[in-house]
Amino acid sequence: MSSPADPLLSVRDLHTGFPIRSALLRRKVGTVQAVSGVSFDLPAGRTLGLVGESGSGKTTLARTVIGLAPPESGQVLFDGRDLLTLPGADLRQARRQMQMVFQDPYASLNPRLTVEQIISEAWLVNPGVVPRNRWATEVKDLLARVGLNPDHADRYPHQFSGGQRQRVGIARALALRPRLVICDEAVSALDVSVQAQVLNLLVDLQAELGLSFLFIAHDLSVVRHISDEVAVMYLGKVVETGTTEQIFTAPVHPYTQALLSAVPVPRPWAAPQRKQILLTGDIPSPVSPPSGCRFRTRCWKAQERCATEEPALADRLGGHSSACHFPEMTVPA
Amino acid sequence: MDNPLLSVQDLTVRFRTRAGTVTAVDQVSFDLAEGETLAILGETGSGKSVTAQALMGLVPRPAGQVSGGRILYDGTDLLARPRSETRRLNGTELAMVFQDPLSSLNPVFRVGAQIGELFRRRRGASRSEARRKAIELMDRVGIPAAARRVDDYPHQFSGGMRQRVMIAMAIALQPRVLIADEPTTALDVTVQAQVMALLAELKAEHRMAMILISHDLGVVAGVADRVMLMYAGRVAETGGLREVYETTGHPYTRGLMASIPALDGPRERLAPIKGSPPDLMRPPAGCAFRPRCEFATGICGTERPELMPVPARPESHRAACHHAKEVVADVVPG
Repeated sequence: MSSPADPLLSVRDLHTGFPIRSALLRRKVGTVQAVSGVSFDLPAGRTLGLVGESGSGKTTLARTVIGLAPPESGQVLFDGRDLLTLPGADLRQARRQMQMVFQDPYASLNPRLTVEQIISEAWLVNPGVVPRNRWATEVKDLLARVGLNPDHADRYPHQFSGGQRQRVGIARALALRPRLVICDEAVSALDVSVQAQVLNLLVDLQAELGLSFLFIAHDLSVVRHISDEVAVMYLGKVVETGTTEQIFTAPVHPYTQALLSAVPVPRPWAAPQRKQILLTGDIPSPVSPPSGCRFRTRCWKAQERCATEEPALADRLGGHSSACHFPEMTVPA
Repeated sequence: MDNPLLSVQDLTVRFRTRAGTVTAVDQVSFDLAEGETLAILGETGSGKSVTAQALMGLVPRPAGQVSGGRILYDGTDLLARPRSETRRLNGTELAMVFQDPLSSLNPVFRVGAQIGELFRRRRGASRSEARRKAIELMDRVGIPAAARRVDDYPHQFSGGMRQRVMIAMAIALQPRVLIADEPTTALDVTVQAQVMALLAELKAEHRMAMILISHDLGVVAGVADRVMLMYAGRVAETGGLREVYETTGHPYTRGLMASIPALDGPRERLAPIKGSPPDLMRPPAGCAFRPRCEFATGICGTERPELMPVPARPESHRAACHHAKEVVADVVPG
C-alpha cells in the first residue's frame, strides 16, 4: 500500500496514437497523435479536472489510462504499479479499482437489461467481490446511495430520465468499489438543473467513499466547481497545470487565458474587467500538428522561437507548470 | 410594444403520439421589435425549438400541428395564409440557423453552390453571379480563403466553419428576422465565442431582429436585449435581460441561475432544482413547476398562474408565478 502522500494514479510521458491506413492496401500512411507526452499525478481522494476542446486528446487519455486504448509508450502507474507491464491477473485486480462513467446516459446502458442486471454484471465478471446471495441487497444499497428509488431495480433504462440514467451509470461504476472513477463528460449531456444534482452527488460520494476522480469536461465552470487540480490540454499535450485556484485566478498560458475568457457568464455586467480574447481559427489537425509550440498558429504572442523550439511544461511563472515561452499573468486589453 | 415586427399570440402546438397528445407549446405570446434580440431559454422539452419551428412553418407534420394562436409578421397572420405563400417569406423575411450544421447542409453539393442556390432560385441570378455572391458572403462571415473554399464540400469544413456557412445562407437574402436555434451548442467554447461575436456584428450591421434559442443562460447574456424563459411549453418569465437575471420573478429562473457553477468567487455547494421536468403527456394540475418548487402553496396546485407584472418593472417584466413577489424579495445570493 502507498502512503497518503503518494499519488494513486501517476501518468508518465504517455503517447497514444492511431494509425491512418491507406484505403487499398491498408498500409500505414500516418498517425493521429491523440496524446503525445502527457504526465500528471492524481493523489488519493482528490479530483483532477482535465479540460480542453474537442481534439485535445482528453478522452483518448482517459481511455488509455483505463485500458481501452493501447498506448505507444509511457507509463500508467496505479498505486505504484505500471499497468502497461503488469501481468494478466494483477492487471485485472488493478482494473477493478478503476471505473468509468460515460458521457451519454442513453448509449452507455444496455436497453435490454434491467438496472439490477446492469449493475450486477460487474460482479459476474469479477467473482468474489460480492457473493451472489447478496447481489439484490447490494443493488438496492447502490441505488439508494446514488439517489434512486431502490424499488426501481427491476426497471429498464428507458423508464428513467437522462439524469436518473446517469445515476445508474454512477451506481454501476461504484459496484466494484473502485478507488478511481474516471468521469468522461459525465454531466455534459444533462440539463443544467439536473447537472447540478449529479455534481452534488459526485461531491458527496467522494467525501463518503474517499474516491479519486479524473474528471474530464469541456465546461470550465463545472471543472472549477469539482476539481482540486486542473490540467489544460491542447492538441495532445498538457499546456498548463496547477491547483484550481492557480489555473482560474492566475493562468499564464495564452490558451488557458483565451479558454477562460470565452466562457459565457450569465452576468457579464458584474465583471466589467473581464476581457474576451477571440482566438482565430480552429484547433489544427493532430495528424500534422504545428512544429514547436502546438498552439502557435492561434496565438497572438507567437514568434519565431515558437515554431522551432517546443516549450517544455515547467514552472515558469506563478508557482505552477505551463508550457509557453512567453508566460504572462496579464491578459491583453 | 407599438407596431412590433413580429407578434406571436397564444401560439399552441400539439403533437399526437401513440401514447397520447402532447401540448409542446401552450399559449405562448411575445413580440419582437425591429432590430431587437430576444433570447428564448429553457431546458430539454420546454418547447423553445418547437416555437421556432412554428414561426418558420416547419412543425413536423402530420404528428405536429399548430392548433391555435396567431403569428403576425408585419401585420399579416402567417398561420392564416396558405403555406405556398408563407414559404416565400422564408429566407427573405425570416431565416433560421439550426443547431447541427452538418445535418443541415447537403453533403453531396459544394458549399458555394448551396449558398449560391438562394440567389439563383430566389433572385434569378446567373451561375457566375451566384458564385460571386457566395464568395462575398463566405468572406463576410469570416471563412478564410473564401474564393478557394467555395468549391469545398461540407465535410471539408470544421464545425465552426460549417456554422458560418449556415449563417451565410441565413443572411444571404437579408432577412429582417434571424432565428438561431442553439447555434453554438455543438461548438467548442473558443469557437462559440467567435460565432456569437459574428452574430452580434451582423445584427448591428443589418438592423436585423434576432430570436436566439438556447439552454445556456450565459451564452445569450452578451447579445440579448430581452429574454423569455419557457418551462413545460409555457412562458415562465419574460423581461429585459438584466431585469430577469437580477430581479428574478420565477422560482424556475432562480433555480437555473443557482444551478450554474460560478467561474469566480468561493466554490459553494450548488443549489439545484429538485426532481426533473414533468411528463408533458400528464402535466401536473395548476402550475407545471409546482412539484419542484420550494415556494409552492395550495393555490399552485389548483390554479394555473398567468403571466403577471413583476413589481419593480411592471411594464416590461412579467412572471407566471403566484409567488413572484416573494421570489423577487428572496434574491439569489451572489
